[in-house]
Amino acid sequence: MRTTTKLAALAAALVLVAGAGIAGEMAGKAALGIGAKAPAADVKMKGVDGKEVSIKDVTGAKGTLVVFTCNACPYAKGWETRIVDLGNAYAAKGIGMIAINANDPKVVADDGYDQMVTRAKERGMKYPYVMDATSEVAKAFGAARTPEAFLFDAQGKLVYHGAVDDNVESAEKVSKTYLKDALDSVVAGKEVSVKETKAVGCGIKWHQQA
Amino acid sequence: MLPFSALIAGLLAVSAPPPAPATAEKLLQEVRRPGASVTLVNVWATWCMPCREEFPDLLRLRRAYQGRGLRLLLVNADFGEGKDEAVKFLGDQGVDFPTLLKEQDDDAFINALGGDWSGALPATFVFDGTGKLVDAWEHKETYATLESKIRPFLREEGKETTR
Repeated sequence: MRTTTKLAALAAALVLVAGAGIAGEMAGKAALGIGAKAPAADVKMKGVDGKEVSIKDVTGAKGTLVVFTCNACPYAKGWETRIVDLGNAYAAKGIGMIAINANDPKVVADDGYDQMVTRAKERGMKYPYVMDATSEVAKAFGAARTPEAFLFDAQGKLVYHGAVDDNVESAEKVSKTYLKDALDSVVAGKEVSVKETKAVGCGIKWHQQA
Repeated sequence: MLPFSALIAGLLAVSAPPPAPATAEKLLQEVRRPGASVTLVNVWATWCMPCREEFPDLLRLRRAYQGRGLRLLLVNADFGEGKDEAVKFLGDQGVDFPTLLKEQDDDAFINALGGDWSGALPATFVFDGTGKLVDAWEHKETYATLESKIRPFLREEGKETTR
């Protein structure tokens, strides 16, 4: 009972602190909502194989996974192997995938196209890794950081948005496999239970308009 | 012969206390601890270039306004080898006061801090003297903007703490 009261007080305090309607400039509220269709799905982006590809082009029979990521961010690197494993494994289960780098290589040189080609080869990515050369696709999604995943079901509706799992540092210490669970649900045609999660990540280095 | 900037950095460098692990609950307890009229929470990491660029301005702000009620809580989000790099960076920046290290899984930590934070760094939160979140943003800011964000909550010069 005492613990319950304490927890309730803590929850109330957190709600109070979290507040609503602050005059901030946070990106979280701008992200694509659950149930929405993929925006900018026709925009062609150059992949590491030199071909132009859009989100629509990779649509899978069971669902479609869009991951905003990059080469240089330590969080993107920390989760990279797990993202590649998921993307490659779920292709066989009817999930189309595209990894999108929306960073401006003028800000972070390691996020350039040539480096993407090398990375895709090194990691054995079997799905398109493309460059969002104006960041317009990331902006349309309301994406804010790398890595950030958006999973759409067979009907093209967003059913999961967020992190890969709950431990960037160690795959062995992961206790919540958010994205894998969501993928399994989509493949099985079931409702995704945890629809939105957050993780610390690198802010997207937006392309500056010329 | 050392370059001038290296000499200055050498003069500033201190042995910084390692950031103390803190869950969001512990961080918010620090925010609500009496004594400050405004608390600025900045979540940063050594790999985050804008965080590093903004850091000296945050320290300058603290030096200028801690006597008027500003409390600066620096929360490091490095992991792995980055944790050692963070201690070195704090030392190089001359940080000789306690700072915090994000503990707890990201989703819980981010949601507890609130303000629609996406998780991108740097992230800065402004809490008033009662511990209420009044502003938040997730990009680096200029010194002038940081100053303007805290100014409404500062105590008048020479006034002692009321809490």
